[in-house]
Amino acid sequence: MKNLTPLAQTYLDRFDTARESLPGHDNPAVVALRESGLARFASLDFPGRKVEEWRFTNLSPLTKGIETTEAPANAALPAAEFETPHIMTFVNGHFSANESRLDKLPDGVKLSSVAAELDAGNSALLGSDAEDKRAVVALNTAFMEDGFVLMVEDGVSVTEPILIRFLSLLGTGTNAHHMRNVIRLGQNSAITLVEEHAGIDGHAYFANPMTNITLAADAKLNHYKYQAESNTAFHLANTDTELAAGAVYENFALTTGARLARNELESRITGSGAVSILNGAYLIRGQQHADTTTITRHLVPENESRQVYKGILDGEAQGVFQGKIQIVPDAQQVNGDQLSRSLLLSDRASVSVKPELEIHADDVKCSHGASSGELDEDALFYLQSRGIDEKSARKMLIDAFLADVLEEISNDGVREYFAKVTARWMDKV
Amino acid sequence: MLEIKDLHATVGGKEILKGITLSIKAGEIHAVMGPNGAGKSTLSYVLAGRDGYEVTSGEVLYKGENLLDLSPDERAAKGIFLAFQYPVEIPGVPSATFLKTAYNAQRKARGEPEVDAMEFLKLIREKTKELGIKDDMLKRAVNVGFSGGEKKRNEVLQMSLLEPDMMLLDETDSGLDIDALKIAADGVNRLRSPERAALVITHYQRLLDYIVPDFVHVLADGKIVKSGDKSLALELEEKGYAALSAA
Ligand SMILES: Nc1ncnc2c1ncn2[C@@H]1O[C@H](COP(=O)(O)OP(=O)(O)OP(=O)(O)O)[C@@H](O)[C@H]1O
Ligand SMILES: [Mg+2]
Repeated sequence: MKNLTPLAQTYLDRFDTARESLPGHDNPAVVALRESGLARFASLDFPGRKVEEWRFTNLSPLTKGIETTEAPANAALPAAEFETPHIMTFVNGHFSANESRLDKLPDGVKLSSVAAELDAGNSALLGSDAEDKRAVVALNTAFMEDGFVLMVEDGVSVTEPILIRFLSLLGTGTNAHHMRNVIRLGQNSAITLVEEHAGIDGHAYFANPMTNITLAADAKLNHYKYQAESNTAFHLANTDTELAAGAVYENFALTTGARLARNELESRITGSGAVSILNGAYLIRGQQHADTTTITRHLVPENESRQVYKGILDGEAQGVFQGKIQIVPDAQQVNGDQLSRSLLLSDRASVSVKPELEIHADDVKCSHGASSGELDEDALFYLQSRGIDEKSARKMLIDAFLADVLEEISNDGVREYFAKVTARWMDKV
Repeated sequence: MLEIKDLHATVGGKEILKGITLSIKAGEIHAVMGPNGAGKSTLSYVLAGRDGYEVTSGEVLYKGENLLDLSPDERAAKGIFLAFQYPVEIPGVPSATFLKTAYNAQRKARGEPEVDAMEFLKLIREKTKELGIKDDMLKRAVNVGFSGGEKKRNEVLQMSLLEPDMMLLDETDSGLDIDALKIAADGVNRLRSPERAALVITHYQRLLDYIVPDFVHVLADGKIVKSGDKSLALELEEKGYAALSAA
């Protein structure tokens, strides 16, 4: 057998003891699922840079093993800043009923914890990932410890957003959290979900969330994610979404955290009239690395996908955007647009971009654009010449760069929240 | 008001201003004319404080203070205003936000109270009306998609709003139609006062029919080669710069 990376080896070594305390440990179906996940992970290992999809993101700082760093002792639970009646909180990888508020959810909406579902033997709702080629997904399947399951019945819509918080604090738990989430929206239902991933700076850990989303016909999901992990954390997230006819998926990922992050999204459009919108903004500095990788599969005719990602990079930060749009044969009358733009505030910051159009139908409209540049010196001088000081002028221009992508967020409260977060980030530029 | 003494400046390592001496007193209007590439815009940028325009020798006093020590925004707050030859497009920044930020920034720097949105709106409406500018321009991003003439009008609008003491106009007339030229000139003339002064860069004598200068200077190859009263502009119009250097 080939040599595994040190971290992969520790997972294999630990599995037998760890499984006893993982949810569903006495359920044969769950056990079988975990074992198949582990077997796949063992044969895959963490991807190295020779793997094409990982060319720009080097996982070796993670895979050589995370050093447990001393984080500041005052690891208090950060209060939720976004206001909504519905909050579900996970602390160090486990559902915390104390920090959650789920009693206001209307009929037809079920929000439960994966640990509870697995303990009850409901592994079927996770589906099968036997064919999945992603190592971190296989690892998640083997070690998944908790997460949320959101089921919405046909025709039900919830006006107030549901906030799901994943907090990593210094504590008794391990320094890795494999969260597994499932979202199923019934026909014509509508939900707004805000995911927040946060940790205390200085605390080193590995967050590996996997989210499976199924949208039935005409369902609408506004899915917003704010990734503010600790500045020494690793965050590798996968979100798979399947859209039936007329379904609308709006995703916006705001990234400011983690030492190394990859947000990977795969949309499978399986119905006409469906719309997949993947947008995001990443604001990184220092030695941060943020990778956004998207795959949009148009599997039937007459549907649409749009993507806009904007990055602001300071210090020696590195950004990656890989966007693949696949249009299968006969998927005619499809629109697919993709745009990636970045603003480099330092000449040591860099961005790698790889758009990939895989189009096998002829009656389609597809576009992709990518640009990266510095702040416009002429514009900066123009503002200053009117009396605006340099710092404010820079801030105005950075704001302007981000403005149009934040505009894409259709939920007003979330848009304001994210604008506040980005403004705070810019204050430190 | 503005004392420029033997000013030398380089751009990209190349000497462009080669010893300019010019004294502008409060209440005066000075016109600067001269061939393309002579250094007129360079002079205006040096006065406004643009990065990359390096003063190698000489000095500039503004109201008795060393102007070259100040940052561009400090100069603006103290009353220097440059109407750009090529106004800059700033995507994503709405004109109204830009104008209000600039207006309040200057007030703040001078220790004056900032104005609120309502007050500002009233003020800016007055100015757009005076200058025949459509209000919907305020909603658009600064200069983005503006026609050449609209950009120039926008410069005059900013100037009318900020009411500078020292107006530097770099070819504000280029690109304006005949009616707009009159309106822009009115805008400048409205600001004329015994406490204010202007330096008007232009290629055309026509502007000077509306903004009548006290002095006309010819800038060629980084130096002022001739100065006179407004009749010099007429003479240049007739004979061109070639005749001047031949003389
Ligand atoms: N970054 C630069 N590096 C080198 N030379 C420059 C640079 N910027 C301007 N110049 C040169 O400086 C000279 C003066 O330019 P300036 O724009 O001041 O001329 P001007 O008198 O305003 O001309 P015009 O009437 O065409 O507006 C020109 O020869 C120009 O090419
Ligand atoms: Mg010029």
